[in-house]
Amino acid sequence: MVKIYLFFAVLISALAFIVSFPRLTLPLGFSYILYLMINPLTSKLLRGSNQQRIIYSLFFTACACLLVIPLVATLYNAETDFKQLLKHIPELRIKLQFKYIQFRELLLDKTGVKLSLDPVTYVMRNVESQGANLLSSIPSLVSSVLEWMLLVPLFLYFFFKESKTLKVKFMEFIPNSIFEKTYVLFSQFNTKFGEYIIAKFIEATILGSLVTLGLMLVGFPYPFILGIIAGVTNILPYVGPIIGFIPALAVALLSQNPDVSLLSATIIYLIANAVDMVLVFPLLVSKIVNLHPILVVVSVLAGGQIGGAVGMIVVIPMVAFIQLLFKEIYQDLNAQ
Amino acid sequence: MSYEERKKELGPDDNSERLNINLLRYLWEASPLYFKESYHTYFRNLSILKSFSDNDIRIFTKYLHRREFEANELIFKYGDSGYGFYFIHSGSVSIQEPNGAEIVNLGEKNFFGELALLEEGHRRPASAVASGPTVLLGVFKPDVEKMLESHPILGAKFIHEAAVILASKVGHMTREIMTLRRKIELLEKKN
Repeated sequence: MVKIYLFFAVLISALAFIVSFPRLTLPLGFSYILYLMINPLTSKLLRGSNQQRIIYSLFFTACACLLVIPLVATLYNAETDFKQLLKHIPELRIKLQFKYIQFRELLLDKTGVKLSLDPVTYVMRNVESQGANLLSSIPSLVSSVLEWMLLVPLFLYFFFKESKTLKVKFMEFIPNSIFEKTYVLFSQFNTKFGEYIIAKFIEATILGSLVTLGLMLVGFPYPFILGIIAGVTNILPYVGPIIGFIPALAVALLSQNPDVSLLSATIIYLIANAVDMVLVFPLLVSKIVNLHPILVVVSVLAGGQIGGAVGMIVVIPMVAFIQLLFKEIYQDLNAQ
Repeated sequence: MSYEERKKELGPDDNSERLNINLLRYLWEASPLYFKESYHTYFRNLSILKSFSDNDIRIFTKYLHRREFEANELIFKYGDSGYGFYFIHSGSVSIQEPNGAEIVNLGEKNFFGELALLEEGHRRPASAVASGPTVLLGVFKPDVEKMLESHPILGAKFIHEAAVILASKVGHMTREIMTLRRKIELLEKKN
């Protein structure tokens, strides 16, 4: 019994440590996620004869090299798009204010209600102040990035080198009475978490690529940056596609270019999300986590509240794990 | 491919084979100078792993978990969800009914819990308690799944051996049931 109390005391202390030192635990957590994603590939690399290992290594190196080219092109074009967007922000602000004034007059005319607030000015002031804060925090952001660039490969290297030893030590520490269940749940969590992250990453890449290609075909402005936003926001379940569409909607409404069509952008987004929902999501993601849609929405909101955007992403596999845990406890209680 | 199979393929007189790191590692781990405890001799003498080559045993031992139990410590209870198959390395284990009555006492070089590896959602049909200070070597479902992924032939061999044990237990139980049925019929006829 003492061993169980000691085990849970250490577990709670570890959780408290994680929450208290995010500067260390966040890069550690990120390295662990990368390790879970890359580990299945390395087991394929290590299996088989020397010739097979060479072929696998060459194949994965070729894939990595091929991925670099579109990645660099995307980043370069996204930077160009972003610079153009920055140039047009004052113009966008004037257009938004004009549209708001038109709307206010229409509302006063039709309903007699007068809107005294100027949300556009309020929002733009907030955006400007946030932008100023962001600019002033760039040096600390750069130092954080450098810290991560140093810590993440270091942690990743030790995860690959020492993972078996660490696992054995951790297993030895678990009390006998809960060892079997803990070990099985821990293994399932590791596998599911890694698979989920990879699946979401692939899903986001496919969706982002489809949106970018579609917007380029119809001549919509800023296709790369909109594609990246669509891909990244798609990671958020249910609300992601809607959030991803908002920038395209804003660009379409505010653009005076007759070639820019909101209808064509909407169709492209609908097609991309339909392909995602019909093909990509069922094949890749849904078989990994099996959660009720309401539970997904509640979890995403709670995850966002606790951990921001990162919380929204990792909360789904964590909730799937908790569901597994409760199922196990419920079955045990039923059996008794 | 194991060393024995490779040698068969190349022929006994072939000297073109380069240094085999796996073989060297195995020889090092089997040597008395290797300070970590090796289970090679223990498993070599077990009937369940008679189809395993020495290299298979070397790889198999990497998937084991060593668990130490004190006297009268519960290993698993009747009705618990089961995921592990245990080899008794030292000590003894008492398999008991839910009311505590002993069914059988298993000593060293015995094993139990094979059904947990083969049945989905398995519930332990009996309790297991360590009779004295006991060391068990456990292999669990996630380990078997990893074994099937990284060493599929070894994993298949192990599952096959577990299935053979189970089949022989089922056969034994069937014969027991038939014997008991005949006895019950005789008793009923007498009455």
